[in-house]
Amino acid sequence: MSTDFTVEISQNEYLAEGASDVNAIVTVTAPDAGLAAPVDDQGSAEIIIIDCSGSMRSPRTKIEQARAATAAAIDVIKDGVAFAVIAGTNKAQPIFPLDYGLAIADDQTRFLAKQAVAGSLPRGGTAIGQWLRLAHSMFLSHPAALRHAILLTDGQNQHETPEQLGEAISLCEGVFSCDCRGVGTDWEVSELRRISSALLGTVDIVPDPSGLAADFASMMESAMGKQVADVSLRVWTPQHAEFRFLKQVAPTVEDLTSRRVQSGPQAGDYPTGAWGPGESRDYHLCVRVTPAGVGQEMLAARVSLVAATPSGPDVLGQGLVRAIWTDDEALSTRINGSVAHYTGQAELAQVIQEGLEARKRGDEDTATAKLGRAVALAEQSGNEGTAKLLAKVVDVVDAASGTVQLKKRVDDADEMALDTRSTKTVRTKK
Amino acid sequence: MTAEPGTAVCPNCGRAVGATDNFCEGCRTELAPAAVSGDGPVAATECPACHSAQISADGYCESCGHKLPAARDHIELDLGVLAGVTDKGLRHSRNEDAMALATAEQGGHPVALAVVCDGVSSSRRPDEASLAAVEAAVRVLLAGVREDADLLEASKAAVAAAQQALAGLNEPGPGDPPSATFVSAVLTHETATLCWLGDSRAYWLGSGPDAEAKRLTTDDSLAGEMVAAGLVSEDDAMTLPGAHVVTGWLGADASGTDPHVATFAPPGPGVLLLCSDGLWNYRPGAAELAELALPGALTDPLGTAAALTSFAIEAGGMDNITVVVAPYPPTAPAPEEKPAPASEEKPAPAPEERTADEH
Repeated sequence: MSTDFTVEISQNEYLAEGASDVNAIVTVTAPDAGLAAPVDDQGSAEIIIIDCSGSMRSPRTKIEQARAATAAAIDVIKDGVAFAVIAGTNKAQPIFPLDYGLAIADDQTRFLAKQAVAGSLPRGGTAIGQWLRLAHSMFLSHPAALRHAILLTDGQNQHETPEQLGEAISLCEGVFSCDCRGVGTDWEVSELRRISSALLGTVDIVPDPSGLAADFASMMESAMGKQVADVSLRVWTPQHAEFRFLKQVAPTVEDLTSRRVQSGPQAGDYPTGAWGPGESRDYHLCVRVTPAGVGQEMLAARVSLVAATPSGPDVLGQGLVRAIWTDDEALSTRINGSVAHYTGQAELAQVIQEGLEARKRGDEDTATAKLGRAVALAEQSGNEGTAKLLAKVVDVVDAASGTVQLKKRVDDADEMALDTRSTKTVRTKK
Repeated sequence: MTAEPGTAVCPNCGRAVGATDNFCEGCRTELAPAAVSGDGPVAATECPACHSAQISADGYCESCGHKLPAARDHIELDLGVLAGVTDKGLRHSRNEDAMALATAEQGGHPVALAVVCDGVSSSRRPDEASLAAVEAAVRVLLAGVREDADLLEASKAAVAAAQQALAGLNEPGPGDPPSATFVSAVLTHETATLCWLGDSRAYWLGSGPDAEAKRLTTDDSLAGEMVAAGLVSEDDAMTLPGAHVVTGWLGADASGTDPHVATFAPPGPGVLLLCSDGLWNYRPGAAELAELALPGALTDPLGTAAALTSFAIEAGGMDNITVVVAPYPPTAPAPEEKPAPASEEKPAPAPEERTADEH
């Protein structure tokens, strides 16, 4: 049982003379048990946002399953947690409690919330930005440190502009995290990914409404397990270094580069959201430094895990990314397995998204090439989950070489599942 | 209380002491502990690259990120009877060589002991490997001399102890298990006992006219094996790719590798030189090394070790450099004499010529 966060660095620190790019995989693992003081249940808040637009009526089971799923999630909310349920249409209004605040979970409030959810009626349009804005103001009515939302929709964001949605997302960034679910196949993957990505949550498709209850309960259980809120990766780099990128690469690919918040003259913070016990994530860091002479060593990055506390930032763990210039080719050409693996996993996610876009445009040659490359990468890295999803969109002739043919008929749900889950990676064997 | 024959005694109070004790339990006199080129803090106050005064606790410049020099980058050890210098050189980022020196007494004569190890760069933690190896080996070697043990056996036991120390460092990871070359010497007033694995070398540099200089060890390296097999000349061998690939080494994975042992009876005064390939790459021949080292090495082992190290750095400093110089016969420095006037009054060549005449 570990009691501290660990920050482990995997890299080949040896660079050939004149080389400047330093790559490393940073593995951050949360302690098995609570850190200093686990966030108590008073300290967390949950909001479930369900799409109540008119389309939720067809098929009729859709709204019924959404109500059942919301009830299942409410049952998982622990006593003392502040919570609410929001109905989303072309505007947003609370289903429970009705006072635009949060209720404290106990047997009675959970029962009342489920009653209210059962009576919710689908009508109107879809303006997700409005839903997020209401969640934002309701979260801020309570001093909880850990704030998490679940957002369910079945359609596209038709009743507001992408700019309006963008403004709402910016407002919510850093205030709460949000897991997004699309039910059926009429919603837009890129739209939900935009929200979940900015709000440090997950996105997935629930093609069949009957799967919603189990999914909601599991998301809520995971949220209830979070113990440490507001953790950031703080990356110090040498003067004149060029910060190339920081990507989360496990469990999913998420580019964090643009999320930098300057925290010192040579340091930036990258938010990672909340952490549950024993949770482990990998990050790929790339820094371009000014090459020093052969035989010289430089610290290319100091990666710290920093928690925001009332008394100021608390460093939970630290790792060093080093650069040593050598003329020994045996050292400088050594491939770091983790860096190579995750470079492949990031490319896998990218070629799937590019391949699906090309397919939608009708550019079959590009789609075949990109998805073929994806099949080869999934095969090489043992990413069986992604390989299975790919096999529903292309006919695999030879996986190793990435020889594929586009399927003539593809189920919309299969294509959307491949798109939403394309960022899921497998970890390297330690 | 008189000590039994064969057991060590404290030179100060005569009390029997354990062979590996560092201090006498009676009077707390230090019993000539080994000197090791170990790690230590460096009190750097300014970054040599950008001159920033902001230095992190772990030794990096807070501004440009350059690593500050480590203690091991350059270490000089001087025990009087022998001395050694180890240096990072110019092209490596750290010093993966290590040395341990010690002195003892046998039948009223001083004895010089030295161990030099060169960590194998392609192995894991080579810097820690070489340091652990010299520490473990010198302890066993010193105990052997103090107990009057058979020196060939003591040398093999020292290798076994070093091997064990490396096994203790072995953790799974990329690269080969921790490995190092090894060369040890025990120089009494009668013989030099040598033991080695890998391509760190021992040379005898005889002093005086017509005195012989020769290499006492053979290299466990691809080049060494090809020369031994008569396939190439020594000069050509060193230019081959992979010439420096060692074929015998001390390592966590090399259990059962028997070290080479040899004894050498010096024909007259001279110097026993131990070095890593960081030096001999630039002057492999014994005669050439003798030219560089003598006659100064006879009376100023530290100065000579430092001069040879500087020579290797100026020649390119491609590798870590370690040089140990032990004059023969081993002579304890006179305790009362001040070193500076002594070297002026006694010109170095005088004692050589006298002893050379005796032959």
